[in-house]
Amino acid sequence: MSTVTAITPDAINAARPPLLQRASANRWRRPRQGVAVAAAGLAVVLPAITGRYVVTLAATAIILALLAMSTQLLAVAALPSFGQTAFLAVGAYTAAHLADAGLTDGLLQLSGATLAAALAGAAVAPVVLRTRGTTFLMVTIMIQGLAAAVALHWTSVTGGDEGVDTPPVTLWPGHPLTEAAYQYWYALAVLAACGAGIGWLMRSRLVLVLRGHAGHEPRMAALGHHPTIGLGLGYTAAAAIAGAGGALLIVVNQHAGPADLGFGTAAAGFAAAALGTCLTGTPTMTGALTAAIAIIALRDATGSNGTGPLYLGLLCLTVPYLRPTVLRLHRHWARRSEPTA
Amino acid sequence: MNTLLHLDEICCRYGAVTALHPLTLHIAAGERRAIIGPNGAGKSTVLNAIAGTAPLATGRVVFDQQPIAGLTPASRANRGIGRTFQHPGVVDTLTVADNVALAVHLPATPPSGGRRRARDTRRAQVTTALNNVGLEAHATKPTEQLSYGQRRLLEIAMVLAAEPRLLLLDEPSAGLDPHEIRNLAQLIRALPDDIAVIVVDHHLPLVFALADTITVLAAGRHIATGTPHNIRTNPQVNDVYLIPTPQQRPTSHAVDLDVLASPSWPSNPELRTSSEPAPQPPVVLQVERLRAGYHGAPVLHDIDLTVTSGAIHTILGRNGAGKSTLINTIAATHPALPGTQIRLDGIDLPPGNPTRTARHGVALVPQGRHLFASLTIREHLALAARHARRHGRPPGDVRWTTDDALDLLPALRDKLGRYPAQLSGGEQQMAALARALLTSPRLLLLDEPTEGLATAVVDQLTHAITRIADQSVAILLAEQNQHLALAVADQVSVLDHGRIAFTTTARTLHEPATRTRLNDLLGVTTTGSPS
Amino acid sequence: MVSDLVPWAVTALGGVAYGLLLFVVADGLALIVGVMNVMNLAHGASYLAGAYLACWLADGTLTGLAVAVLAGIAAAAIAGAGLSVLLKPLAGHTEQAAVTLGIGFIASWAFTRLTGGNTLSPPRPAILDGHLSFAGHGYPVYDLTFIVLAIPLAAGMYLIVRRSMAGIRLRAAVDDPLMAAAQGLSVARIRTIALATGTMLAVTAGVLGAPVIGPGPGVDSHVLTLSLIVVILGGAGTNIRALLTSALLVGMVENIGVATVPALASFSLFLIVIAVLVVRGHRQAVSAA
Repeated sequence: MSTVTAITPDAINAARPPLLQRASANRWRRPRQGVAVAAAGLAVVLPAITGRYVVTLAATAIILALLAMSTQLLAVAALPSFGQTAFLAVGAYTAAHLADAGLTDGLLQLSGATLAAALAGAAVAPVVLRTRGTTFLMVTIMIQGLAAAVALHWTSVTGGDEGVDTPPVTLWPGHPLTEAAYQYWYALAVLAACGAGIGWLMRSRLVLVLRGHAGHEPRMAALGHHPTIGLGLGYTAAAAIAGAGGALLIVVNQHAGPADLGFGTAAAGFAAAALGTCLTGTPTMTGALTAAIAIIALRDATGSNGTGPLYLGLLCLTVPYLRPTVLRLHRHWARRSEPTA
Repeated sequence: MNTLLHLDEICCRYGAVTALHPLTLHIAAGERRAIIGPNGAGKSTVLNAIAGTAPLATGRVVFDQQPIAGLTPASRANRGIGRTFQHPGVVDTLTVADNVALAVHLPATPPSGGRRRARDTRRAQVTTALNNVGLEAHATKPTEQLSYGQRRLLEIAMVLAAEPRLLLLDEPSAGLDPHEIRNLAQLIRALPDDIAVIVVDHHLPLVFALADTITVLAAGRHIATGTPHNIRTNPQVNDVYLIPTPQQRPTSHAVDLDVLASPSWPSNPELRTSSEPAPQPPVVLQVERLRAGYHGAPVLHDIDLTVTSGAIHTILGRNGAGKSTLINTIAATHPALPGTQIRLDGIDLPPGNPTRTARHGVALVPQGRHLFASLTIREHLALAARHARRHGRPPGDVRWTTDDALDLLPALRDKLGRYPAQLSGGEQQMAALARALLTSPRLLLLDEPTEGLATAVVDQLTHAITRIADQSVAILLAEQNQHLALAVADQVSVLDHGRIAFTTTARTLHEPATRTRLNDLLGVTTTGSPS
Repeated sequence: MVSDLVPWAVTALGGVAYGLLLFVVADGLALIVGVMNVMNLAHGASYLAGAYLACWLADGTLTGLAVAVLAGIAAAAIAGAGLSVLLKPLAGHTEQAAVTLGIGFIASWAFTRLTGGNTLSPPRPAILDGHLSFAGHGYPVYDLTFIVLAIPLAAGMYLIVRRSMAGIRLRAAVDDPLMAAAQGLSVARIRTIALATGTMLAVTAGVLGAPVIGPGPGVDSHVLTLSLIVVILGGAGTNIRALLTSALLVGMVENIGVATVPALASFSLFLIVIAVLVVRGHRQAVSAA
């Protein structure tokens, strides 16, 4: 498993290396691989070296990472989405209902949640994909609001404000996953599998088509690519990733309720993807993953006494300026080091 | 001959502007058709109507016996219609090979051997497509690093890789150098016989070398269709397009007053006094070593030019020669490259700042007018006039009032309450001119003001522009319409491939040597090879 | 018969008050989105800031309310100008949205910190704190006053945008920023002013609307979502009439819906928006691209 996670961050490095790094890509490849292997190793042994609290937070970070990757897949298509929590919710409530019906098998819940979220994504796609850019962002905020309203008011299905409590998932019959460490390892394995899947997806024709639409939509249409179909497939895939995150939510919390699926979660997911993009210059999965971990570390671990939003806010107010500043300094140095003859 | 494409009385409108009057065309399978005509004739609109990106007001489009007017651009592409765009439509963020890979569609049932086999097939097709246009060495490069000409070739490679039965080429030679144009001509000539081609281009040698049949449009109307020989000898065609009959500019700007609606012109006493000819007109605009480009590829190289007070300096040049870029760089709406110096009345204009450039007294009438959609014409004029008052230059300068502008362009007088979309093309152009005038400029930049306009409107504009120059405004006019350009110009510069090929004064303009040189550079000669 | 209609009339009047409140907030958002082409995710926080301001400064007198309004306008102008400085060096829309989101986070932290996370209810000025009774049904005087205040505000906005030179400039900058600059307009200044004005409208709505939508945790995202619905229906930019119509529609649906079928009310707005998108969809996709 550790090898899979070790490869994943590099394999899913979506777009070409950003401008600054392109020239020195080779110089950095080796250290970056080293960092990725170290991070993966640390992730695996985390329960052995820390307490239950950190492990639970790390599991939350994995869920946020899936939400951020789901958002990032759409960012690759130049579609800024705020509404991926809607599909996280579909996944979570589907898994909860499967658990209620006695189907506590983790993998079954995972596939059920992913499938349901993908179907919901496919159903919503034709509507939201009538818009682009800032309007798309506004419409997806509305999708998030709609999902929150449904979670709150469709009591017969969602349990309303109370939510739905579920029995722990099982990986094989008779052995419920109650230990935080085992839940975390399960979540990590799911993340690794999803990571591998996304890594494959990022090299697939679908993502090529998404990037084509992001770059020049009229050209894509003139080549016979129907925008709604290509982008709709991307939207569906993104929804499925968020749905997998929803299944993990049930594993970790044994509860699905509007509190975990509201505006705050959506904002954190959007911020993770956006800050990831700010770090790397283009929408990359590695960036989203890193930002998701940073957000949980700052918001929940450091700022657990109520200062979480402050730290998160400060993060959002600094990261977007890092890259422009570094680039400007770089240009400045390049100009100074030029021979003045 | 079986008809591949049948346009049945198609008509396109944008707001109140009719871009294309009902037009009927038949294109046979494998035919090589060119559509030519002056700017704004509706040529690109025809291509867009076929490709599905321009909505039809009326009419039918039948492709391969099937009506396709209701289909999306993507569906039309899948039926075998491929197209290029005026600006090369390539995806900058992808590599060259990935761009072509997007165009390769595999058959719905994959060949035996499964996915790997399909991938290999696609890769082979991409390599072949890049080989065909000579870009194989750049396959792994990011597309943004290609030159303009290479991007154009890449776009053609993409379109061909999609294996179209009808290929629409929109200005394929624009922005290319002679060598690249020659390659392009060879590429198009070498296309398989079963691909029909419709090419829209200003480069007449290329058009005559490629086309079996030529259709001529002007101001949205069909003028003629025929063989290259017929078209060359058709007097009507010569009239609208091919051979401009030089008109003598009214001497000493003495336009006969009865063409202007208001006999009281000029109404403003200030204007009248300043219209006395100065013995030594001062230099208003001085451009030195102007360089500008797109995507890092230079389009203009070391341009030097001056415009004096009250003079009209005309920039002539083919499409893609860099006329619009020059005008926009002076207006600072396009960034100049370092080293460029633009001075107005001896003061350096701040680089890259259109607001301060405008406040120094530079007014722009851009190509395509760019009127504000949610402002009435009255509001356009009020906005401009207010600005002149606020950031007005020293007193004693010519100050234009709304009445002056309306006297000059009387057609606007009863259209003041309308929005731009409710005006005809000519009225829109007059509104854009009036808006520029009311800022009381020292320098007026006009970019293709007669594009797509009927002759009567062109005449009105010609007179208006001459009268404006009489009020000691310096005018820089970029034009394709030689009727207008030669009729009003005090000085003519010809722009060729981003450089000023030569500059001449109005006096020498009609000498045979000058005319030959002009014709060579502007591609009006209908003989010769595409080079 | 008449007495049967009165409760409906009272509810409808409530809807008008609610709709006008949304109009003021949404108008600010439409201005920001239209001029800057940036989604301001902190717009709900601006409303919330105004509402808290009303709680602290309003002491039950009209003077207190006036002081709160003026303080809100001053603070909003500074905040809006500051935000435009923050957004200026950022190229991408994603980066800009992330910064506004960050401001929203910090604002929500500050509000929780200062109020302890409680939902507050501001005192209404004593004169306006009563009920008018229509055939036995009470209607709060404050809501009526709000309607009376908001109508001239809406009319003023309309007149400024449609009739004044400032409105002409604003529309020019929204329609074609580059051409506006080539006319000598300072587009950067217009953007700053639009951002400041948009924030001012949200804060003012917060101060005056605190008794209608009271301040509390989660109110910022609620107000943001509602004003987004208004902007999506009415269009970003400068079409005041369309914004007013859609704000009144949203206000009515929220108010009447809650009174009749509460469960459906929360979805009906979203369903309306989806229906509108399906019908007009493509046009918007083109204009946004």
